[in-house]
Amino acid sequence: MSDKNDMDYDVMVVGAGTAGMEASLSLGDMGYNVLLVEKDPSIGGRTILLSKVFPTLDCASCISTPKMAQSLHHPNITLMTYSEVDAVTKNADGTFHVNMHKKPTYVDQTTCTGCGQCESVCTVPIPDEYNYNMIARRAAHIPFPQAIPKKAVISRSAQPPCTHTCPAGVKPSGFVSLVRAGKYEEGFKLHLADAPLVGSLSRACYAPCEGECTRDEMEGSVNIRAIKRFMVDWYYDRHPEPDYGPVETQLDSKVAIIGSGPGGLTAAFHLAKQGHQVTVYEAEPQAGGMLRHGMPAYRMPKSLLDRDIKNITALGVEIKTNTTVESISSLKEAGYDAVFVGVGNQNPRIIPITGNDLTDMTDCMNFLRETNVGEELPDIEDKDFVVLGGGNVALDVARAAVRMGTKSVSIVCLEEQDKMPALDFEVREALEEGITIYAGVSTKRIFKDESGKSKLEVLKVDKIDFDENGRMTGFSTAEGTEQQIDADVVVMAVGLSPSTIPFEDELALNGNKTIPVNAQTLQTADPMVFAGGDAVLGPSIIVEAMGQGRKAAFYIDRMLKGESLEVGFETELEMADKDEIVSCSSKCSTVAPTALRELEPHKRIQSFEAYEETMTESEARDSANRCLGCGDCSQCRECVNVCPGDCINFDMSPDNLEMTVGSVIISTGYEILDPAGKELMGYGKYPNVISGPQMDRLLAPTRPYNGVLRPSDGKEPESIAIVLCNGSRDHTVCNPLCCRIGCMYSAKHAQLVMGALPMADVTIYYIDFRAFGKGYDEFYEQSKGMGVEYTKGKVARIDEIEGGNLKLHYEDMEGEGGLKEAEHDMVVLTVGFLPNLESLKIFKGSELEADEFAYIKEPDATSEPGRTNIEGLFAAGTVIGARDIPDTVLHACASSAQAAGYVQKMRKA
Amino acid sequence: MAIGRKIGVFICHCGGNISDYVDVKAVAEAVANEPGVVVSKNHMFTCSDAAQQEMIDDIQGLELDGLVIASCSPKLHMFTFRDMAERGGINKYQYVHVNLREQCSWAHTNDKTGATEKGIALVRAGIAKASLSVPLTALRVDTIPKVLVIGAGISGLRGALALSDMGLSVFIAEKEKDAGGTVKNWGRMAPDDQHGSEIVKNLLDEVKRRDNIMLYTDAEMIAKSGYIGDFKVTLRVGEHDSVELQVGAMLIATGFDSYEPQQGEFGYGLDGVVTLPQFRDFADQQDGELTYNGKPVKNVAFVYCVGSRQKKTEACPEPNQYCSRYCCNAGTHMAVCLEDRPGDLNQYHLYRDIRTYGHNETIYEEARTRGAVFMRYQDTEAPTVADTADGLVVTVKDQLMGGEEVEIQADLVVLITGMVPKKNETLMNLLKLPVSKDGFLNELHIKLRPVETVIDGVFLAGSAQSPKTMAESVGASLAAVSKAGGLLMKGFVDLEPLIARVDTDKCLWCDECLKACPYGAIEKIHHGEKEVAFVVKSLCKGEGACVPICPHDALDVEGYTDQQITAMIDACSKEVVPA
Repeated sequence: MSDKNDMDYDVMVVGAGTAGMEASLSLGDMGYNVLLVEKDPSIGGRTILLSKVFPTLDCASCISTPKMAQSLHHPNITLMTYSEVDAVTKNADGTFHVNMHKKPTYVDQTTCTGCGQCESVCTVPIPDEYNYNMIARRAAHIPFPQAIPKKAVISRSAQPPCTHTCPAGVKPSGFVSLVRAGKYEEGFKLHLADAPLVGSLSRACYAPCEGECTRDEMEGSVNIRAIKRFMVDWYYDRHPEPDYGPVETQLDSKVAIIGSGPGGLTAAFHLAKQGHQVTVYEAEPQAGGMLRHGMPAYRMPKSLLDRDIKNITALGVEIKTNTTVESISSLKEAGYDAVFVGVGNQNPRIIPITGNDLTDMTDCMNFLRETNVGEELPDIEDKDFVVLGGGNVALDVARAAVRMGTKSVSIVCLEEQDKMPALDFEVREALEEGITIYAGVSTKRIFKDESGKSKLEVLKVDKIDFDENGRMTGFSTAEGTEQQIDADVVVMAVGLSPSTIPFEDELALNGNKTIPVNAQTLQTADPMVFAGGDAVLGPSIIVEAMGQGRKAAFYIDRMLKGESLEVGFETELEMADKDEIVSCSSKCSTVAPTALRELEPHKRIQSFEAYEETMTESEARDSANRCLGCGDCSQCRECVNVCPGDCINFDMSPDNLEMTVGSVIISTGYEILDPAGKELMGYGKYPNVISGPQMDRLLAPTRPYNGVLRPSDGKEPESIAIVLCNGSRDHTVCNPLCCRIGCMYSAKHAQLVMGALPMADVTIYYIDFRAFGKGYDEFYEQSKGMGVEYTKGKVARIDEIEGGNLKLHYEDMEGEGGLKEAEHDMVVLTVGFLPNLESLKIFKGSELEADEFAYIKEPDATSEPGRTNIEGLFAAGTVIGARDIPDTVLHACASSAQAAGYVQKMRKA
Repeated sequence: MAIGRKIGVFICHCGGNISDYVDVKAVAEAVANEPGVVVSKNHMFTCSDAAQQEMIDDIQGLELDGLVIASCSPKLHMFTFRDMAERGGINKYQYVHVNLREQCSWAHTNDKTGATEKGIALVRAGIAKASLSVPLTALRVDTIPKVLVIGAGISGLRGALALSDMGLSVFIAEKEKDAGGTVKNWGRMAPDDQHGSEIVKNLLDEVKRRDNIMLYTDAEMIAKSGYIGDFKVTLRVGEHDSVELQVGAMLIATGFDSYEPQQGEFGYGLDGVVTLPQFRDFADQQDGELTYNGKPVKNVAFVYCVGSRQKKTEACPEPNQYCSRYCCNAGTHMAVCLEDRPGDLNQYHLYRDIRTYGHNETIYEEARTRGAVFMRYQDTEAPTVADTADGLVVTVKDQLMGGEEVEIQADLVVLITGMVPKKNETLMNLLKLPVSKDGFLNELHIKLRPVETVIDGVFLAGSAQSPKTMAESVGASLAAVSKAGGLLMKGFVDLEPLIARVDTDKCLWCDECLKACPYGAIEKIHHGEKEVAFVVKSLCKGEGACVPICPHDALDVEGYTDQQITAMIDACSKEVVPA
C-alpha cells in the first residue's frame, strides 16, 4: 500500500459540456470526488448555445442550466473553468498523474460579482464565438447570459506588438482603442499614467510602434503617432493646466535628478507619483534637455513641451534651472536619499579638418541651441551651408538651416544615402526641402577659391570597415574623386557623447563615457545612485530615455521603501504572432492608412511652424479603427477604472497544478466543420448563406438580432433552403461519416422558422432523412405536416443572383430526376462535425488510440462503451463520434459507470 | 389566510417560451399585491445560476417563508428549485411550482390576453398554496446495496458485471431457460463484426466467476412490494421454486421483440420470404456459399422498414410510426457479410431512407461499393412480392431511376423487421411502468433523466426503452448502472414527505382507506382507547386515493391538503381585472 499514490480526486473529467457534466454528476451522486475541468470560461458546452432541442422542442437552456447549476453546487464536484489539462500520464499503481493549468482570467474570480460593468466599457470588439461570429463581443466579457460561473473574463492572448515594442512602456493599443471609442480624455490619461511627455511624443517620437504594427504587413501601419497627436491636442485644448496636484501621501524621502531631459522628467514624474520629494537640476536656463535644445521647432513646438512639463511639475516636482551639479557627493551632502543621473548625450564630437579656420565653423549642439532657444537665430541668410554627418542630428541641423534663408544647404556624410543612420523619412523630407546630400564622401580639406569663397573638398569613399556590432571602424577613399562644395558655414554633426564628465570619478565611467549600471535596475556602483537615458545608452531616441527614467523610478522607489530590488520590472505576455493575425485578417476590407495633411515643401521651409496638420476627429477615429486588435485586450484599462470590486488584475499568470487522480474521463466534444471549405456552396462569399449553428443562434432566446433576418439586408427571409450534408458523407472533405444530427436539427430549424416567420417557405434538400431516435421519425412527419418541403437531392452549387437571393443547382432524385434549379432568399448549410483533435493530446504521447477518423477509439464498442485502449481512461460523448444529446447523455453515464468500476478496483487494490 | 406570510413570486420568461405568449410582466404586477406576497419579479431564465442566486438573495434578504416559481413543467426544474430553496435556507416544500409553459403559454399560443389572464389565475393559485405551506422533512431510509437485473441478454449481463464492479450485489432474473437474450445464437454483428454468441459466452463466463452475482434462469417476478432503496421481490424459479429477494434498485433489461409481419405483408408466409432474425437463424449457421432449403441462393432482395415507420391505414390500424433505428445498420452490415461469402450472389436492398448514422455510414458505403444494389421506394408505393412460376418476384418502383418499375427475381426475400415492445404482461402489471406513444417503456425525460422511470429505483437498461443497437443497449444499461449506483452507494435515500397523514381525532377506523390504498401503506393501530389508521411512511406514495374515500375527513396529503386545494380553487376563480 505504501507505494500507492494518494488520489487528489477519484475521477477527473475533462470538458464540461453535456457529456462531462452528466458524467460528473453521475459520479458525484455515487459519492466519488470529481474534478471537472473546462477550458472555456463557462461550462455548458455547445448545448447551451442552441435554440431548442429536438424532438421535444424543450429550450436548450431548460436542458442545460439545471445540469450546469448542479455541477457548480454538487458537494462532490470541484469545478475548474478556464483551465486546461496539459498532460496526463499513468502511474505504475494505475492512478493517473495530471499536469494542468488555470488560465489567467485577469479578473479575480472570487470577488467578481458578474455585474458586467467591465463589459459595458470595454473598448475592444472581438468576433463573438458564442454567436458563431455573427456579431461582436467585448474582450472583457461574460460569455453568455446563462454562463456558469457568471464571472467576467478578459480575453488577452498576447501582448500587442505596438505595446510590446514601446521602450517607454506606453500602450498604443490601449489609447488607440480608446480613441476609436471616442474616449479621448481616457486615452490621454492612459498615456499619461505611463509617460508624461505625451505632447512631445506626439510630435517628435520616431514611433517604433508603427514599425511593429501588424497592419504594416498589410496596407500600412496604423498612424499611431498621428492619433496620439489628435488625442493630446484635443486634451490640451480643454485642459491648459493639469487637473491634478501632488499626491496625497507625501513621503520624507528626497530624490535628486540631474538633467531635465525625457529620462529625468519621466523619472521625476513616477517618483513624485509615489510621494517622494523630487528636485530636478538643469544646467540650462530651461527644462527639456534635447527636446528643447536639440529639436527644431517645426518638430517640437516649445509651448507643447512647456505644457508637457506641467504634467510633472503639477505633482510638486521642483525644477532648478541654471543649476549645474558639480558632484554626486554634493547632492548627498544636501540630504538627498537617492540620485538619478540623466544628463544625456550632448557633447559634440569634433573631427579635425584641414583648413577648418577658413570658414565659419561650429558644432551641431551650438547651432541647434542657438536656433532653438537663442535670443536670435544664427545669421546664415544667403549662405552656402554645409552639415557634416548623416544622422538624425545632422538632418535636424540641415532642415533648420533651410528654414533660415540659406542660399544652399548640403549634407555631407560617409555613408551611402541608403545607409545613412538618419531615418528614411527625414532624408526624404530633407530632399523635398531642397537639401543636397553628398553621400558616401569624406572631407578632404576646406579652402578658399580665387574669389575668396570657402569651399569644402570631399573625396569618394570606396570602402568602410565595420566591427561586429555594425559600428564603423575605418574607411578608405578613392584618390582623384575630388569634388568641391560651396561652404560658407560648416556645422559638424558627426556624433555626440555623454555629458558625464563631471562624474567621471564618482561613477567610474565606461571608456565611451557612458555610465555603467546594473542592466536590470539601472543602479550604479553607488547604490544610492541610478542612471539612465543617453548617459547610459549613448545616442538613443526619446522613448528609450523615457523608458529608462520610468524603470529607474520603479527601483529607486523600491530602494527608498526598503524593498528588494530582486524583482522583475514588468511582467509581459509574449508578443502576438503577427503572421497568424494577418492570416486571420485576410477577410478584412482593405483600408489604407489615413494620409496626413502636410504643407508642401516650398511652403514649409518658410518658417519653423509645424508643417504636419493634426488629424480631424473623424480621421483619428477612422485611423484607430484600422487597428487589428492584436492579442485581443488592448489594455485600455477602462475595466480597471470601472470595476466596483477592484477585481481586474493584469499581472495574473497561468497557475500550474499537478495532481493524482484515480481515473480520467475525456469529454472534450467535437468540432464544427467550417463550410467555407465547400467553396461551391458560397459560405463566406454570399452573405445570405449561413451555417446550421448560426441558424440556431438566430432562433435562440438570446439571439443576436432578435429575429430571423438575412444578413445581407436585414430582411425577413420568405423562402429558406436548408441544405443537408455539407461536409458529411462527403469524401471531398475527407469526412465520409454521417453527422447523426444534421437531419434532425434541420427539421427543428424548419419547425422553428415556421413558428418565427409564419409566411416563410422552408425547403430541406437531403440525401437520406435520418430520423432514427426515439420520437424522431414522428418529429420528421410532424414537420412535413406543418408544410416543410422535403426534396431528395444533393445540392451541387449555389450562386448569388440579384438582390442577394441564391440559386441552388441540385440533382432531383425523386420525380422525374435530372438537374434542376431553385431560387431562395436565404440558405442554411447544415454542416458536418469533426473530431476534436485536442482530445487525443490529453494523454501524453501517442498511446491513446484513435479510430481511422481521428475520434477516440473504443476497442470494444459493443460491450465496453466508453472504454479506451488505456485502462482507467475513458471517453464520454462525442469524442468517440458525433451524436445527439440523448445518446451523449447515455454514453456519458455509461462511461461514469466504467470509471466508477475502475476507481473501486483502485481502492480495493 | 396569509397573515404574517412572506412569499416571493418569480415569473420566468423562459427566453420567450413563456413571454412570447404570456405578458409575464403583467402577471408579476397583477399578483404583487396578493396577500402575503412581498416580492414579485420576472427573470429571463429562472433556472440560470444568476437568477437562482438573486432568488436566494431575496429569500435571505426578505426572510421569505414561501416561494412561488412560475416557469416550465416541474418535470424539468422542480429539483433545480428545491435545491435552490434549500441553499437559500428555506424549507424546500414551501416552494410551489406553477407550470406557466406547458399548461399556459404553449397551450394558448394564439391568445396572449387569455393566456395572460390564465397565467395570473395559475400564479394566484400557487400563492394560495404557498400561503398554507408548512415545512416538511423528508423521511430518510437506508438502502439495500443489491440490485435486481431483469433480463439476461447482453445488456442485462453487462450491466450486472458493472454493478458488481462497483461493489453491489446483483441478482439476474431471466425468463427464458437460457441466458443470452436475442443475439445468443447470432454470428457477425454490426458494427465491428463481433459474434453475438461469443459476446454472450464471455459475459456469462465472467458472471459465473463473480461471487456477488446470482443468475436465475427460467425465472419471473411474481410479486413486488417495498419502495426505492428497499424493494421486496418474489421470483418464480423453474416450475415450482420461488425466491424472495430484497434489493435497493431494479434494472429493466428485458429487451425487445422482433416485429412479426402479418400474413401477406410483403409476401410474408410465402416460402422464401423470411424476416431478418429468421434469416440469421439459418444463415449464421452456414459457412461458404449461402443455401436455402439445400439450394444455393443467387438472388436476395431485402425490404427495409418492415414494421417500422408505418402510416395508419385500414390494413394497419395501429401502426408502428417510429423508426427502429438498428435495422438499416443491420441490413447493410448483412450485405457486407454476404459479399464476404464465396459465390456470386446478387443482392437488392429496397429502402426508404438509409439511416446508417454516424460511423455506420462506412458500412453502407462498403456494401454499395462491393456490389449490393440499393433501390429507393416510396412508402405510398411499397414493393410487392409475388410467388410466380419462376419463383419469387419483387416489384419495386425505383425512385433513383425516375420511378421506373423494376422486377427482381429472388431466391430469398428478407424482410428487415423492426423492433416492437417486449410482451411482458406479468412484469408490467407488477411494476406499473408507463409506456410512451410507441409502446416502449417511458423514461422520465429523454435528455435529463433518460434511464429513470416514474417508479423511483427502477431504471431502464437498453432496448426496453426504445429501439437500440447492441452497443447502444449496453451503453444504456451501464447508464442505468450509474444511476442505480448513485442511489445505492450513498447508503440512504430521502423519501418524499408529500404523503398521507391521519387526523387521529377524526379517524374512527372503518378500513375504507386500507381498501383504497394500492401500496399497502395503511395499517390499523391502537391510539389510546380507539383504533385508528396509520400511514407507513416508507410505503405511502402520496397518491391520495385514501383521502376522498374517508367518510370522516380524517385523511389529508401533505402539500396537497384539502385546505390548500380549496384555497387554490378560490384563488383561481377570482376575477382577473384586465390592466
